[in-house]
Amino acid sequence: MLEFVQIAIGGLVVGSIYAAIALGFSLIFRVTGAINLSQGGFALIAAMIGHTFGVAWGWPLVAAIPAAVVVTVAAGVVLARFTFVPGLARLSNANVLMLTAGILTMIEGFSLVVWGSQPYAMPPFSGEAPLAFGAILIPTQAFWVFGATAVCIAALWFLIAKTKLGKALRACAENPAAASLMGIDVPRMTLFSFGLAVLIAAISGVTVAPATSLQFDTGRLFTISGFVAAAIGGLASFPGAVIGGLFLGLVTQLSTAYISSLFSSAISLLILLVVLIWRPQGLIQGGVARRQDTRDEVKAGGHAVKLPAHLGWPLGALAVIVAAIIPLVVTNNGIMSGLVIAAILFMALMGLDVLMGYAGQVSLGQAGFMAIGGYTSGYLAINHEVAPVLSILAGIGVSLVCALVLSVVTLRLRGHYLALATLAFGLLIDSCAVGFLDITGGPSGLVGIPSFSVGSITFASPRAMYYLVLALDVVILIGLAGAMRSGFGRALKAIRSDQMAAAALGVNVVRYKLAAFLISVTLASLAGSLYAFFFNFLSPEMVGTSRSLELVAMLIIGGESTLVGGLFGALLLTLLPVMVAPLAIYKTFASGALLVTSFLYLPQGLYGALVQIVAKLAGSSERASATQKEARAS
Amino acid sequence: MTAIDVQATADTNAILSVRGLAKSFGGLKAINDVSFDAAPGQITAMIGPNGAGKTTVFNLVTNIMPRDAGRVTFLGRDLAGLSPVRIANLGLIRTFQSARVFPGMTAIENVMVGNHRLAAHSLPSQMLWLAGARNEERQLRRRAEEMLELVGLLQFAQAHATELPMGAQKLLEVVRALMAQPKLLCLDEPAAGLNDTETAGLANLLRAIRSLGIPVLVVEHNMSLVMNVADRIVVLDSGALIATGTPAEVQNDSRVIEAYLGRENHAAS
Repeated sequence: MLEFVQIAIGGLVVGSIYAAIALGFSLIFRVTGAINLSQGGFALIAAMIGHTFGVAWGWPLVAAIPAAVVVTVAAGVVLARFTFVPGLARLSNANVLMLTAGILTMIEGFSLVVWGSQPYAMPPFSGEAPLAFGAILIPTQAFWVFGATAVCIAALWFLIAKTKLGKALRACAENPAAASLMGIDVPRMTLFSFGLAVLIAAISGVTVAPATSLQFDTGRLFTISGFVAAAIGGLASFPGAVIGGLFLGLVTQLSTAYISSLFSSAISLLILLVVLIWRPQGLIQGGVARRQDTRDEVKAGGHAVKLPAHLGWPLGALAVIVAAIIPLVVTNNGIMSGLVIAAILFMALMGLDVLMGYAGQVSLGQAGFMAIGGYTSGYLAINHEVAPVLSILAGIGVSLVCALVLSVVTLRLRGHYLALATLAFGLLIDSCAVGFLDITGGPSGLVGIPSFSVGSITFASPRAMYYLVLALDVVILIGLAGAMRSGFGRALKAIRSDQMAAAALGVNVVRYKLAAFLISVTLASLAGSLYAFFFNFLSPEMVGTSRSLELVAMLIIGGESTLVGGLFGALLLTLLPVMVAPLAIYKTFASGALLVTSFLYLPQGLYGALVQIVAKLAGSSERASATQKEARAS
Repeated sequence: MTAIDVQATADTNAILSVRGLAKSFGGLKAINDVSFDAAPGQITAMIGPNGAGKTTVFNLVTNIMPRDAGRVTFLGRDLAGLSPVRIANLGLIRTFQSARVFPGMTAIENVMVGNHRLAAHSLPSQMLWLAGARNEERQLRRRAEEMLELVGLLQFAQAHATELPMGAQKLLEVVRALMAQPKLLCLDEPAAGLNDTETAGLANLLRAIRSLGIPVLVVEHNMSLVMNVADRIVVLDSGALIATGTPAEVQNDSRVIEAYLGRENHAAS
């Protein structure tokens, strides 16, 4: 019993941090209708800065902690001013969510560059000695955490419910268009609420720092726990955030203690998925019913770029020839491996493009299917000596079954709820990959996967693998291009832009969404298997959530609904760090920064920009030859 | 047969037959016992003042909203419980009040989507670039171009649909619906937002559609359009049916005049 109470108190401490971060989620969601995944990043940054000020530079904590909070809030507001606020005006809800995932990646990359990958520990604010209540010991830091969270909640409630500013914020929440007609500066309110959310995150970050170990990617854990808490409790509700946070803290601590630490996050994610099926709005409905129509207008305005028809085949053939020659020229094994990885990821990216670019269904869990494919085929190849081709097919089969189960949830959801469900799924697979030690080898990975082979032909060298993957890529690309240029692709695009109008023309929305999803899952699973065969090894972080986010970044940077765009993103993010080794540490930061920049300034991606240049050149040369002909004729 | 039975039984000749349709939103009876038919080869217009419930009738007929009571039969088939997609695939194609062209697609792609329910070739044949699928695609494109030319929009074929002027978007939506080869075309305020010239063009298009043998059910505010083209008119007021008949009959119906001009006017006379 004593042990239980002790653990439960620990759960409440963790839970109040989750609650504070969830509160930030709710605040931004209520004011802007968007979900801000960068929350946890700011909590981490505040903690790290606090460590630098307080430990590395030796400032007294009384000065270091508030200074860290101030610096973080200032940085957050500046960042939001140039990313989140303009993004909100231009992007759909789901894209804003991915924009904030980009901001989170950027923060993570920034921490990696500044503080490296080693863990840090903060000293507790008021000494190491815990307070004793009878036999129960409570660390003093727990009171700081409880206190800070309680103050945040009370202050936020007072602000929203009792002040004029709060009224303006609520107006923005309910109908931003009408609010701006009433003279409320909506962008400023957005910025203010973002700053407020960063403030809450920063305060919780610095207070929890002594109770946890800090690393560059701890921010993502904060974000994920906070968002799971907010989604369980009800995104639009402040009490929901608090209850969700405390509940999640208790569940994770108790399941860590009584079941297994490896499965604690899997359990919380399962709870989330159940909540999303049963009550997508969360356990507690928000008092504010946000009018969906006021924001969903900014949707799918993106104009897909197309190569001029007569240039498509020649340029495609040229690209294939160049790709076939590359291995004869490039001798560096590192670059060759980079090319293979890019080509394998391109496979998954084409699938993701069908799902996201064409059908408009956001997926932040695509690497989960890479993991299912990779682990299934690796396990079968190692333990049952199944031929690689068959094991890949088995992996695809298992992935498709999981996809059908998941689609029970996802087909009912749209926009950010869909994004959240896929993110939760990816995380769930992530934690299963860590947890199922016997099958996956746990955190240290699955070793001894054979190289890919067909009959007696083995594809052991990067060069052999390169040609194999290249051939597969070309076949898949041609097949998907055929589907996307015909009725199938048109039906997906119609669904993406207006589901109801598409249904009124007889387009079976559910069936097409499911088909797009299964295509993307098949390709992700295939890519995951080839990845495992190529490395002869597979570990959770190779196919984890950061990979999912990276895939999204690659697709957006390359250009969505183009099929080939993903290749440009994959090449850029895979080859640059290989070719310029000192840049490797900046990779995470760069992929986040590029994702954010692409969303805001290059909506058609690198490929789109290239096509526009090509089209312009082709157009001007045609005009030139036309004028020449005219000149000759006259 | 008593009069009540006549009311309750669907007209077997009608393409669309609506009987006793009802819908309440909370305490408000939005639609109260509405019955009407759309006859083959005719343009049936549904008119009524703002808020009379015309669009709601459309949404109830196509099962976009569930109805409280009533029976809707289309080509002799009860539509109860069918999804909007199934209803569209039976050949009942509708447009929306605010032009809902697909953004992010060109005008011609929009028109081509209309043909979706009739496309014969499947995903695998499209992926393999089979000759059949490519031929179908080519023919579809040609037909779409012909349709665009018919309504004078061919010049916009490659333009993004949302960049077209409002009138053109409305026409585009009608053309897109036509590509689905409807057995009944339901248009929700096709003239809203059109100027006089565009409205005249629309009237011609509606007559052309009728001459192709496609019956039309049109909800409309624009009286001159309705009186010009409709064969039969159904008048709604405050969710209830107040008159049906030819344009001439309806124009002289005292209840219709009352609904449109108001009761004060009636009392004064």
